[in-house]
Amino acid sequence: MSFKQKFALAILGVAVVASLGAGYLVQSSYSEQFRDAISAPPSARFWLGTDELGRDRFARLLYGTRVSMLLAPAAALLATLIAGLIGGAAGYLGGRWERMITAGVDLFLSLPWLFLLLAVRALLPLNTSPVMSVMITFLLLGCLGWAGPARIIRAGTRTLVNSDFLVQASASGVSRWRLFWRHLLPNLRPVLLAQFWISIPLFILSEANLGLLGLGVSEPLPSWGAMLRDLENYSAVLQNPWMLAPAVLLVAVVGCLQLLLGTEERGVSC
Amino acid sequence: MSALLETRLSVDYPNKPGVLGDVRLTVSEGEMVGLVGESGSGKSTIALALMRLLEHKGAAIHGEVLFNGRDLLQLRAKEMRQIRGREIALVLQSPLASLNPALRIGTQMSEAWRAHASGAASKHWKVQALELFERVSLPAEESFLSRYPRQLSVGQAQRVLIAMAVLHKPRLLIADEPTSALDAVTQSEILELFRRLNREMNMAMLFISHDLLAVASLCSRIAILQRGQIIESGPTAQMFRDPRTADTRALLEAVLRNSSAVAEFARPESTVRR
Amino acid sequence: MLMRCRLTRFTMALMLCGLAAASSASELRFCLRIDPKTFNPLLVEDEASQTVRYLTGGVLIRLNRYTQELEGELATKWKVSENGRRIDFDLRPGVRFSDGTPFTCDDVVYTMRELMDPNLHSPTGDVFRSAPGPVESRCTGSSATGSAGVTVRFPGPVAALAAQFDQVAILSAHSAAKESAVLGPFALGEYKPGAYVLLRRNPNYWKRDANGHPLPYLDAIRLEIQQNRELELLRFRRGELDIVNKLDPEMYDRLSSEMPHAVVDAGPSLDWEIVFFNQVANAPLPEYKRRWFRSDDFRRAISEGIRRDDLVRIVYRGHARAAVGPVSTANRFWLNSALQPPSGSQTAALALLEHAGFRRSGSTLVDRDGNRVEFSMITNAGNKLHERTLALIQQDLARFGIQLNVVTLDFPSLVERISRTFNYEAVLMAITNVDLDPSAQMNIWVSSAANHQWNPNQKTPATPWEAEIDKLMAEQGGSQDRDKRKIYFDRVQQIAADKVPMLFLVNPNALSAVSPNVKNVTPAVLAPQIYWNVEHLQVGNALVSQARNALVNQR
Repeated sequence: MSFKQKFALAILGVAVVASLGAGYLVQSSYSEQFRDAISAPPSARFWLGTDELGRDRFARLLYGTRVSMLLAPAAALLATLIAGLIGGAAGYLGGRWERMITAGVDLFLSLPWLFLLLAVRALLPLNTSPVMSVMITFLLLGCLGWAGPARIIRAGTRTLVNSDFLVQASASGVSRWRLFWRHLLPNLRPVLLAQFWISIPLFILSEANLGLLGLGVSEPLPSWGAMLRDLENYSAVLQNPWMLAPAVLLVAVVGCLQLLLGTEERGVSC
Repeated sequence: MSALLETRLSVDYPNKPGVLGDVRLTVSEGEMVGLVGESGSGKSTIALALMRLLEHKGAAIHGEVLFNGRDLLQLRAKEMRQIRGREIALVLQSPLASLNPALRIGTQMSEAWRAHASGAASKHWKVQALELFERVSLPAEESFLSRYPRQLSVGQAQRVLIAMAVLHKPRLLIADEPTSALDAVTQSEILELFRRLNREMNMAMLFISHDLLAVASLCSRIAILQRGQIIESGPTAQMFRDPRTADTRALLEAVLRNSSAVAEFARPESTVRR
Repeated sequence: MLMRCRLTRFTMALMLCGLAAASSASELRFCLRIDPKTFNPLLVEDEASQTVRYLTGGVLIRLNRYTQELEGELATKWKVSENGRRIDFDLRPGVRFSDGTPFTCDDVVYTMRELMDPNLHSPTGDVFRSAPGPVESRCTGSSATGSAGVTVRFPGPVAALAAQFDQVAILSAHSAAKESAVLGPFALGEYKPGAYVLLRRNPNYWKRDANGHPLPYLDAIRLEIQQNRELELLRFRRGELDIVNKLDPEMYDRLSSEMPHAVVDAGPSLDWEIVFFNQVANAPLPEYKRRWFRSDDFRRAISEGIRRDDLVRIVYRGHARAAVGPVSTANRFWLNSALQPPSGSQTAALALLEHAGFRRSGSTLVDRDGNRVEFSMITNAGNKLHERTLALIQQDLARFGIQLNVVTLDFPSLVERISRTFNYEAVLMAITNVDLDPSAQMNIWVSSAANHQWNPNQKTPATPWEAEIDKLMAEQGGSQDRDKRKIYFDRVQQIAADKVPMLFLVNPNALSAVSPNVKNVTPAVLAPQIYWNVEHLQVGNALVSQARNALVNQR
């Protein structure tokens, strides 16, 4: 393991431990409003100051990290898996199937998602606990975010499907399903991984946007998305630069993960 | 010797009809048959058509492929899968491209094993694989199993493919230009390996090549393919002695002229023997 | 060659632009949030069209936004009689439309006919449809004396009849120019959808200033169509806009730190921030929840438990006032001054909850049957003020062990839930009020009304107090005696405070920004706060020319 990787691992470790051990690190809860200390600057009591409602930004950052770090990758994984299956199947099966699946994907992408999401919200009960609603949100993101990656994966599969090693494997009697699952998909790993990494920050931000439809992480639970949404108010950010902490953490975590897993992928030959 | 394989095969591609026209081939049990032709004559198509691996390209196959008395063209996909790898195995011409770059050697061996071994037997792949590696002169070590194809030489890759092909002791091995990507030394080693496997496992073989010399050194019978047609077939010795068609004669003359040149360079260190 | 041609034209356009900018310095510029949906003053529904109507339309009677008194405009005098069924106007003589056609009683008669035309469906006409039957209007007065008048008679009494004419812009009966012939200070000049509406000075406007100088002072008003409020603010700061009509408290504070002379806090507006519970009989709610929401004590306890001072201080940054009831403190006459806003005290709320049979069980509150008190409150998504308000309420109620689930919805779904499916528990929303008169709230208080939000369209009043409100509202509406009506409506306010059908949280302040270049600004709490006296406003060069005129006059 190189120094860079150790460094990345250390940062990730700190982030994970801090978010899991949030209860020990900060005394205040993420939802407690200190109404006598609204929008306070950093201090010994509030390391990153407080937000507009007097809530400890540091506590919110830690708990928000817990929510987003757990759920965004899970949703990205789900989306990438679906994309791999559907996009891969389209490229692998070819012909009529490919045309049908491609048409389906295009249709899916062109659907008025706004209205479908509204319908989903209408179906959900109003009294869902914040934790439940955050799970539903990321599940939805995972179930909806596959179509874009699926197209890329289909294209990737097309280039693989006539390769000799697949002919060789089917000549060994490997079944079609296994051929796809065990022989073709592993070759799509770089594409899948790229889609996975792209999806994570995308989902973290989409979660904030879903909030506009009543589907996001609901009060008082913090999330990176909601904290990033605070950054829209640029003049407030200029005055309170510590508001950038969530964005910095997001970039750091995604960067570190990439460094760590990206080199692991190539590591074998080195 | 009874006929293991008997074909009457025509293949049309959607935009290229008549790739193969009524190709009649016979391979008897334990026999080594050579199929010789220039590039583009339809050799590889025969290999794939026999395994029924052309269908997804939209090719139309007519005629019959009698294997052990059953017409392979009439089998259902599932039954055909049972034949592939277990009864008939295939070795393709470019060894490195034929191994899956994303999978370790061990995984690919295990996949090939599991294709025809279920339940408790599916766990024995490693023993089988290492034993076969030994026989094909590969390092029979666990560490070798965990290598990726990019870490192998061409010769090693071809040996892995051959080991994989004979894993289930097939009755017929179809080798499509198995030596054309190899250097002369490795080439002769591989030919020797085929010969040995044929002897030890009583495995019939359809050896497809443009290299008449290699074919002649290996096979007892030769068929000559030109533009999708078998123009001549017969025992090797007879073919060399008394070619029936002008084309065969021309081919032979060309080969013999070259081979004497090759032979002069190759002989001292190669071990081509019968 | 082609390129060059284009370049020349481009530079020419630039020069022309520069020229226009230099010569149109007496142009007032501000933003509309959306394109006006219509330029027909009778069909106005949206805010943008309303703005255009206010700036271009001439009305018989105008509500002075500052004094909150009615003033004659095209009518010099008016008289309401027959208990609000009839109104007589004396019309101002010598007035001309913007296209030069004279203003006569025919125009008023024509406007009234169009307004009440059932095929036109004029939203402005709705308030006049008090009873079935035709509306008669006819010309009065003699041509000999030159005095003209109009009498309008309605089939039923119309509450606050005279005040309703503030919204009725008079159309021309004869002008070929139709809607573009107007009697207001400005006339429609140019409209580029999605870009701007340009209003030009009406050269025939009748009003004059104290020195006899014709009004308006401004040559033009440019209404830029701009949805993004951040951009609006940015352009205001660059001096490209003269007015920002509605600022949210955060923007106000931001702007006031940079341009302290540009911001205007006109004090509490008439607008409401309210919460109400679903009391609809057949709403898809569990029975026990329906019981809570229909309990007076429960609603009062929640109302008491919300710390309005914190809402004002934290969410509105001080730019709001804790609401007392349906009448804002800005409404000087109609406010029931005996009422006090709820205290926000924990003990008062707890006492009410206990009285209603609720008790603490561990960290949560349960009702008499042991059901955990948990409910959801919906609000429109994307509104930061509402989101923060709900976050504060959530914490306030958590003190009592009440779990409040905050749900933000897009506005159409919210409306769908509160007015059609009734699939909601509690809702936080903002209500914009433009009218001082209690009759404007008729549609909210009367139990049979569709806008009786907590339990609309009732065949018979569900509760005795709703029956009493129905009666009081009818009585105040039927009377033309302002003081008597005040007594009735004071009682309505008292009932609203006791029974809490709606929790009135705050009245947000009317916040706006106006460039120091604009003169004669007299901010009012009533919309349009800054430009209600638009004919008197002056900008830049206009001021200079005005001063020069004044000097000339003095000599």
